[in-house]
Amino acid sequence: MSNAYIDDFPAEAKVVRTAFYSSFLALALGGVFGVIQTLHRTGYYRFIDSADYYTVLTAHGVFLVISFTIFFLVGVFTWAITTSLDRGVEDLRFTWGWYGLMAIGITLSGVAILAGFTDATDISASVLFTFYAPLQAHPMFYLGLVLFVVGTWLAGVDWFRSWWAWKAENPDERIPLPTFMVLTTMLMWYIATLGVAAAILVFLLPWSLGLVESVNPLLTRTLFWFFGHPVVYFWLMPAYMMWYIMLPKVSGGKLFSDPLARVVFVLFLILSVPTGIHHQYLDPGIAEGFKFIAMTNTMFLLLPSLLTAFTVVASMEHGARQRGGEGYFGWLKALPWRDPVFTGMALAGLMFAAAGFSGMINAGMNINYLVHNTFWVVGHFHLTVGTAVALTFMAVTYWFLPQITGKALWSRSVALGQVVLWFVGMTFMSNAMHRAGLLGVPRRTAEPQYDGFEFEAAVGTMGELQAQIALGGILLTLSLVLFFANVVGTALNGRSDDLPANEYAGTLSGPEDAPLVLDNLKLWTAIAVVLVVFAYTFPLLSIIDRGGLFGPDINPFPVSLETVHLLAFALESHVTGALESVAWLGVNR
Amino acid sequence: MNVHTYEKVWLIGALVLIVGFIVTITYGSVGLGIAMVDDSEETIEPSELDEDERFADPRVEQVGENEYEAYVVAQTFMFQPDPVEVPAGSEVTFYVTSRDVIHSYSVAGTNINTMVIPGEVAVMTVEFDEAGEYGVVCNEYCGSGHHTMEGELHVVPDEEFDMTELSVEADDEVETGDEATIEVDVENGMLEALETTVTLEIGDEALAENVTIDGGETETTTFTVDTADLGEGDHDWTVTVDDYEDSGTLTVVDELEEDDDDE
Repeated sequence: MSNAYIDDFPAEAKVVRTAFYSSFLALALGGVFGVIQTLHRTGYYRFIDSADYYTVLTAHGVFLVISFTIFFLVGVFTWAITTSLDRGVEDLRFTWGWYGLMAIGITLSGVAILAGFTDATDISASVLFTFYAPLQAHPMFYLGLVLFVVGTWLAGVDWFRSWWAWKAENPDERIPLPTFMVLTTMLMWYIATLGVAAAILVFLLPWSLGLVESVNPLLTRTLFWFFGHPVVYFWLMPAYMMWYIMLPKVSGGKLFSDPLARVVFVLFLILSVPTGIHHQYLDPGIAEGFKFIAMTNTMFLLLPSLLTAFTVVASMEHGARQRGGEGYFGWLKALPWRDPVFTGMALAGLMFAAAGFSGMINAGMNINYLVHNTFWVVGHFHLTVGTAVALTFMAVTYWFLPQITGKALWSRSVALGQVVLWFVGMTFMSNAMHRAGLLGVPRRTAEPQYDGFEFEAAVGTMGELQAQIALGGILLTLSLVLFFANVVGTALNGRSDDLPANEYAGTLSGPEDAPLVLDNLKLWTAIAVVLVVFAYTFPLLSIIDRGGLFGPDINPFPVSLETVHLLAFALESHVTGALESVAWLGVNR
Repeated sequence: MNVHTYEKVWLIGALVLIVGFIVTITYGSVGLGIAMVDDSEETIEPSELDEDERFADPRVEQVGENEYEAYVVAQTFMFQPDPVEVPAGSEVTFYVTSRDVIHSYSVAGTNINTMVIPGEVAVMTVEFDEAGEYGVVCNEYCGSGHHTMEGELHVVPDEEFDMTELSVEADDEVETGDEATIEVDVENGMLEALETTVTLEIGDEALAENVTIDGGETETTTFTVDTADLGEGDHDWTVTVDDYEDSGTLTVVDELEEDDDDE
């Protein structure tokens, strides 16, 4: 009998396993649509109609960034809560309840999207992941998304219940780090999803059902991005958690600093939401001042990521030195590069650093003119969610699979090949996407070639860029095939008695070094809410005042434009000041 | 809280970097004057663009010596006007709106790029220093034909640029001996007066008249041709003003058919 997760928590292991398999199913579907898209766009192989490309694109986006990432997240978070609190879930039926709700929700949305391929029904939802009105999807698409999100809300309730029950039994203990990460991430998620919930429940769903005649496209779009930016941190936080609590362990050492890990998650809680308008730098109808506020908030959001870079590298170095590594850079050789869990996460972290740089360009308000909605942006998020998140998830899957199935991993060498192949494939694809974006090649288009003009590359040619993108796409697909071979191969293995124990990394500087205030979740939530109110109240009021709640000709909100502007400018300096002090507050303690 | 010295250094470095970025962007806004697309324009009813002064007739208009305004309408899956033509060395303010869903107006390879949201008017002021031809794409998904939505932007050399419009009304058929009239309207869309020559070539004859057209005005030049000199038959004519040309055919007949006179 070993000490794997499945031995201690057999019922929870089944939940985690089911969530992971749901996630992998979405990954498989998303991957298939991904390669179809790559080959179509680059012109290498076009077997679908270009009009259907957008259905493929919608499916690729929704399956990967909604179902793949979030199902994986609920699996990891369930594991993190139960492991770090060392207690099973409070009510297993409730746990299966939220999982079921998420599954039903994504199935409804998925069916609505895939129905777009056939003329047999009127159902379709080729509105892409952003579903900007006035593009309209079938009500089933919106309804499915609502159910899915409500499922995640209940999952959060489940984890909070575990923590409350644990706290009652351990009143004087610090919140264990993995639990702290889960709770702060979920608080951020509750705030963030209010935007998309309002957009769908108040406007888009009634509109798609014909209950209201029109919507204000700028308003629903702004509400979408209220959610649309923090959702990327929702994908990223489980990956960050793995970098903090798993990477140091597989490197052979300990986490450098528990308190700074807490600071980082607190910063994400308070800064993730009031930044969404940076996706709308080029939107008419939003004042420049509001865009400026979003820009400064976004730049401060670099801080937790820069801190993470330090902590992760320092923890890796500590691990390497424990393994006998020496010298300024010589310790790098002592790292366990043959371990797919380590190598996958390390390569994902490296790619995230590159993604950080392209992200800074995107965040640069006026520089954004050059890259907004070009292929550059696609290159950027294939490094973030497509590599930092996805590759980390795949790498830790090789650690999780034995834990949740009780079976040894099918093949470590195939796993190692898989993570390296992903890194190589994404290097080709993403680099070429970034470069193409600088030429003005748009994202989200079936055929980036035009009758009236050609894109001119300063270095290389369009043909070479297309070839790199197609090559990258094929390597990524091969990598996925290897990944699924390992998942299936492991599932077909017999039970093993010789599995590693269910453990995560210890810390060099532990929670005893972290000021108590860091665990005051109410305080951080309150600050987060205040910042959101500052960043969003006036833009939203202004948009409603200008264009009407339900469209341009209705003007039901009795706030004059002049008042809104005056107040906005008065607040602008306060908000920027407040942010700076908050950022300092977080790090000076 | 116990923070390692190296980590403190890193932290300060990170904050300096962040503040540095914000300063850079602020310099771009204040120092270089790169304004963001904002809320300076009133909202507009997408269904009533045809009654709108600016967007009913999408066009380029001269508003100052080197200043122009372009009123652009984006709709599935085209831009109007197309191409947009402006002179090099000018400052052009684009006003762009949408008739239906969200589009963009993005000039490939430049920083001319804006979302086009129905109900809103996006404004961008751009300086064109050099002549060149650019492609315009819609970079926001707008429906199944999104990839076919494209346009062009022509920045023509200053000396080749004009906003002259030529239209000709001419008789089709006249009786031998009668006079045929060819009426030439020349519109000068620029603010400055236009001095030019209107020429008519018909048969072996060439007629010319010098005209001066004030800014924003239309001048009519009427040529009369004695058909007796031309003789019976078809005669091709060509009217030329600068680089513009219009042509047609005048038929001189022995006797016009009855019903023509009744009208």
